[in-house]
Amino acid sequence: MDASRTDELHGADSPSRSFSFGELVRRRPETITFLLLIAIVVGVAIANPAFLQPSTLIDIGRASVVMGLFALGVFIILAAGGIDVSFTAIAAFTMYSMTVLVQSYLPGLPIVVVILMATLGGVVLGIVNGLLVHHLKVPSLIVTIGTQYLFRGFLLSFIGTVWIMSLPPQMGAFGRMPLVQFQSANGALITLPFYFLVLPVAALVTWWILNRTLMGRAIFAVGGNADIASRLGYSLRTVHVFLFGYAGALAGLAGIIHVCANRQANPFDLVGTEINVIAAVVLGGARITGGTGTVLGTLLGVLLIVVLNSVLVMVGIPSTWQRLVVGSFILLAAAFFVTRQRKK
Amino acid sequence: MAAQTHTAQHSAALLELRNIQKRFGGVHALRGIDLTLQPGEAYHLLGENGCGKSTVIKIMSGAHAPTSGEIILDGETFSSLTPIQSLAAGIETVYQDLSLLPNLTVAENVALNEQLVNGNGRLLRLFDRKRLKETAERALAAAGLPTNRTFLNTIVSDLPLASRQLVAIARAIATRAKLVIMDEPTTSLTRREVDNLIRVVERLRSENVAVLFVTHKLDECYRIGGHAVVFRDGQCVAQGPIANYSKKELAELMTGRSIDAQRYRTGKPSDAELLKVDRLIADGVRDMSFSIKKGEILGITGLADSGRNELAMALTGVAPATSGVVTIEGKSVSVRSPAEAIERGIGYVPEDRLAEGLFLGKSIFENEIALIVSRLANSIGVVDREEGRTIATRLSEEMRLNTKNLDLPVGALSGGNQQRVLIGRWLSIAPKLLVLHGPTVGVDVGSKDTIYRVIQGLAEAGMGLIIVSDDLPELLQNADRILVMNGGRVVAEMDAEQATEDQLYKAMLVITTETV
Repeated sequence: MDASRTDELHGADSPSRSFSFGELVRRRPETITFLLLIAIVVGVAIANPAFLQPSTLIDIGRASVVMGLFALGVFIILAAGGIDVSFTAIAAFTMYSMTVLVQSYLPGLPIVVVILMATLGGVVLGIVNGLLVHHLKVPSLIVTIGTQYLFRGFLLSFIGTVWIMSLPPQMGAFGRMPLVQFQSANGALITLPFYFLVLPVAALVTWWILNRTLMGRAIFAVGGNADIASRLGYSLRTVHVFLFGYAGALAGLAGIIHVCANRQANPFDLVGTEINVIAAVVLGGARITGGTGTVLGTLLGVLLIVVLNSVLVMVGIPSTWQRLVVGSFILLAAAFFVTRQRKK
Repeated sequence: MAAQTHTAQHSAALLELRNIQKRFGGVHALRGIDLTLQPGEAYHLLGENGCGKSTVIKIMSGAHAPTSGEIILDGETFSSLTPIQSLAAGIETVYQDLSLLPNLTVAENVALNEQLVNGNGRLLRLFDRKRLKETAERALAAAGLPTNRTFLNTIVSDLPLASRQLVAIARAIATRAKLVIMDEPTTSLTRREVDNLIRVVERLRSENVAVLFVTHKLDECYRIGGHAVVFRDGQCVAQGPIANYSKKELAELMTGRSIDAQRYRTGKPSDAELLKVDRLIADGVRDMSFSIKKGEILGITGLADSGRNELAMALTGVAPATSGVVTIEGKSVSVRSPAEAIERGIGYVPEDRLAEGLFLGKSIFENEIALIVSRLANSIGVVDREEGRTIATRLSEEMRLNTKNLDLPVGALSGGNQQRVLIGRWLSIAPKLLVLHGPTVGVDVGSKDTIYRVIQGLAEAGMGLIIVSDDLPELLQNADRILVMNGGRVVAEMDAEQATEDQLYKAMLVITTETV
């Protein structure tokens, strides 16, 4: 692999191609994600300068929050060599149950408590995943396929199937609460909502856990080789419970933000978008076999997919094409990462 | 029971095992082991595969709990240990698979465990990055490895195998180890790297650290010195200073039968040329020319970076040559892939049989017929299992497998038997040339004997064999000629009957290339 191949991957864009570029990509595969992102942004900005308007950027930021939170959870589990497909069901379960609870029984509950309870609910469901993965000794993919059905089935059978169109007022208010607000050229009011802050904070916390705590190293150790990690004295049970609990917390948080932002609670929502999130994480350079990846790469992967979603419309490509494009990107990036790793 | 030693009783024992029994289901793996380890002493745990060596070290390291018996550690009595207890007491194990985490850095692999053990396995806390670096630097220096930033931050999967071995040892000595257990530490090392390892062991002993080796390589045990502990069938059959035992005595103690270390090679090659290699060039191989006659056994050796491995892979199409001519029975042929090699009648028994050769979860039967499945299939692709079974039965008899049950998964067999299954599979296609890469790596004395007899039998039947190995006695005992490689070229050719280990070793080191 050499420079000519990288040219193919991101067209006219010319990266700093020193002799160690290949080494950089091998150690930090998210470089490719970043270059792809830049290439797309530059390409679209040339085709349609309207893209660089603040309103578009804020739309992209807003759309990244829920997917970004999900992706951080998927990434941390992938780092430990597992995979989770139940996070959307956890999010749907907690968001809908909390909305019903607040609407019907505790209308005065402050929004902070609502968010905390949703997060805690996510932790509990996540821990169920973690304990099942650990004690059944079944691959986490199978376990979380099972729990996805279980959580969702429980939600629809026992909690409700009614689409809640009018949220409790404190939740709606949280969704509208502005962080930054300004008037655009055409006079429309543009708002970056307060909840956007949750994503960078969650990303920082996740980065800190992974890189500064022994738990973080243990997660990567388990992702490298679980048998060896356990032989070295890392408790697999603690790691599994923490891991899925943390991913559950992120899912619970993402769920409640999703409700507040959309100002409605649809129990049929979210489930079905797992693959999109996993795709983002893999595009961010995390290997599906575990043990690698970075928080920054994960965020770049999410951004890449969100940008693609909004960009295709702006340059006049039907949104149905989005899947085609994302699919080709995943294959290209994966092929690139793999050839890079082979050439040692 | 043979000689017990009472030499080092003056100091308090480091670790004592009393009447340890271990059962796995119906298998009685350990039948009452008594063992006392003293500080600063070297021990060599010897025995055939399946004699209970690995079980004993797993009990010491806390990976297994004994069924009954006592473990006395620092004067305290335990019925079993946890990994953290064992590590906290200073028992460090370098497993055969090295137990390195491939995706973490050298520094993390070496020094993270110290912090894990100090925190009693608690994970919900920060780790000390400064201390991590300091510990890693100290341990790497003690193991004779570089301590610069680049090396500390290298991902372990990017390191060559020999350096990984030393990194694993560095981890073992990073903490205040009192006992370092090394499970077959030298199988992947060349002689020069073994010298380095022996220096590390001497330094450890001078610091009053005990070292327990589990190994099949008796020569190295004699060089290191210390005590021999011989196991057979889950019992300790002899203990004492290793210098008191001859190689022959140890081999007999291990197997319970007499093994002669004589030259196995008795036959003579025919005059007909089988294979001629002319100016072969491949990645790591520069300009190799040689030939083999029918019924000849050619030994090829050299240091790990000499190109011997690459030559084996080039000849068998695993990593095809870039130029050169290969002639088989007078016809020039191309060998661009393993499939093409098989078509030309070249078989390859790789060094890493677990990763490259065997389907561990599949039965002996399925492994044996893997190469001939298409031949056993009829026109619509249904495999004739009866015919396959007949062939597999014949092959396993020829290979003297010690089980009759062909439905046993290969993963359940000992190393020696696995190797025999792999060689047996190649016999199913009756190759003209068989390339054996490290045929007895990690194989016990008894199995070695069987494998050598099989190899000789094949040569007798007219097959040409190439043995690529760094086990010099193995080549001297089995080959007709030995080629010594260095820097991708042949630097010496010797008649195996006349050559000595010393001559071969000197030839290997002619031009000294870089270490590690």
